[in-house]
Amino acid sequence: MKKFLTLFKIEGKLTLRSIDAIFFGVCMPIGIMLLIGLISGNNPATDGAGYTLVESSFAALIAVGICATAFMGIPLTIADYRDKKILKHFFVTPVSPMMLLWTHAVINMLLSIISALLIYSVARFFFGYQLIGSPLFFVGSYFLVMVSMYSLGLLIASLCRTVKMANLVCSVVYFPMLFLSGATIPFEIFPKPLQTAAGFLPLTQGIKLLKASSLGLEVDLLLPLLVLFGALILGILLSMRFFRWE
Amino acid sequence: METCIEVKNLTKRYGNRLAVNNLNLSVKKGEVFGLLGPNGAGKSTTIDCILGLKSFDSGSVSVLGVNPVKARKHLFERIGVQLQSSSFQGNIRVGEICQEMAALYQKPADYRSLLAQFKLDHYSRQPVTKLSGGEKQKLSILLALLPQPEVIFLDELTTGLDTEARRSVWQVLIDLKDKGLTIFLTSHYMDEVEALCNRVCIINQGHAIVTDTVSRLIQNSPHQRLEEAYLWVMQEGVA
Repeated sequence: MKKFLTLFKIEGKLTLRSIDAIFFGVCMPIGIMLLIGLISGNNPATDGAGYTLVESSFAALIAVGICATAFMGIPLTIADYRDKKILKHFFVTPVSPMMLLWTHAVINMLLSIISALLIYSVARFFFGYQLIGSPLFFVGSYFLVMVSMYSLGLLIASLCRTVKMANLVCSVVYFPMLFLSGATIPFEIFPKPLQTAAGFLPLTQGIKLLKASSLGLEVDLLLPLLVLFGALILGILLSMRFFRWE
Repeated sequence: METCIEVKNLTKRYGNRLAVNNLNLSVKKGEVFGLLGPNGAGKSTTIDCILGLKSFDSGSVSVLGVNPVKARKHLFERIGVQLQSSSFQGNIRVGEICQEMAALYQKPADYRSLLAQFKLDHYSRQPVTKLSGGEKQKLSILLALLPQPEVIFLDELTTGLDTEARRSVWQVLIDLKDKGLTIFLTSHYMDEVEALCNRVCIINQGHAIVTDTVSRLIQNSPHQRLEEAYLWVMQEGVA
């Protein structure tokens, strides 16, 4: 335990020192939440919708916090540490490199949870946001989306041989998901064909689930659950198959 | 004398290519042993096999009397390793990497006194990336010394350093040698090997050409310096 805490403390400091994790995972979604609240106030998300844009964006924005850690934090750290042989170095100590990976998983989880809590506070105190649906269902959905996205991040780290490659793939995966899934631009304002296309992205389904649970909507959960569990299982199986320590 | 590292008939293949071919060597306690050979000769693969990082096809390895694969945790409390071209986390500080690595061992050496001993103590709050090449390699040795090891492995420790830095790293190693630490190293610099090593093993294409003390190796060749003797051995193929 002492080993883990020391690793956690030092690796945590390193994560905070590289500002991009904080910027993309915490500052950016909070900024967007503020903008959405200021622009749309408490108007309905779309004409005749029973919820406001703040309410409908809340779910999407906390997903941004998850994605910043899942598609930048985790895969880039692993690729970088593998490149620098830091993972290999842990093999020649009494602990295994798995410990280092778990440390980073915990750090990133905490970071996205902090991001979610801050977004909630901003929405709550500035715009009177309240969770409409069941909190338990919402928290459950949140963690399912998290592990599902993390397994995809791990998969990227497993398949990319170099940091450059990982960087490229992360950007290619992260930014389209961010813009097309409704995480930044409200999904409701997309034209229908684009909505259909974006529906294939795991994050879109994740946000659908988060939205349904936070707004208390009655929607068909089969597809989101199928896609998220599918991504989770596929990500873990393929990572186990292709992961390289060096 | 007690045997620290024992490698018997070690063979390792990558597909069809023989990386290590029936290699035998043994290193005694307190000895500085050099594994020499050109790039791609199989030096790093041999070290990886000895440390249990890579599986091998046949033969046996024991370090401090134990099998490194089976007794991994136990063994790595007692040996220190510096891997070839390994590096550190971006923007980590000198004190932090020491603290982090020290936390991994049950009875670590006091890294603060090691930092002072290596004249690195005033860099403690500096990022590792700001260190010079020589200071970085001294830090690598320091980290390898954290478990208070009985044996340390150093893979191409001084490659890429300037002469002065190389000398100051040597001095550190000579001090460790005088204290009776067993050192297993690989190097491309024969002056360094001559200054540090008791015995060497020269390998080429995974095959041991000769294993002998530095002085006998030179005596058995028509040359006066290890570098010429080494080249002569490589050319003759046998000695």
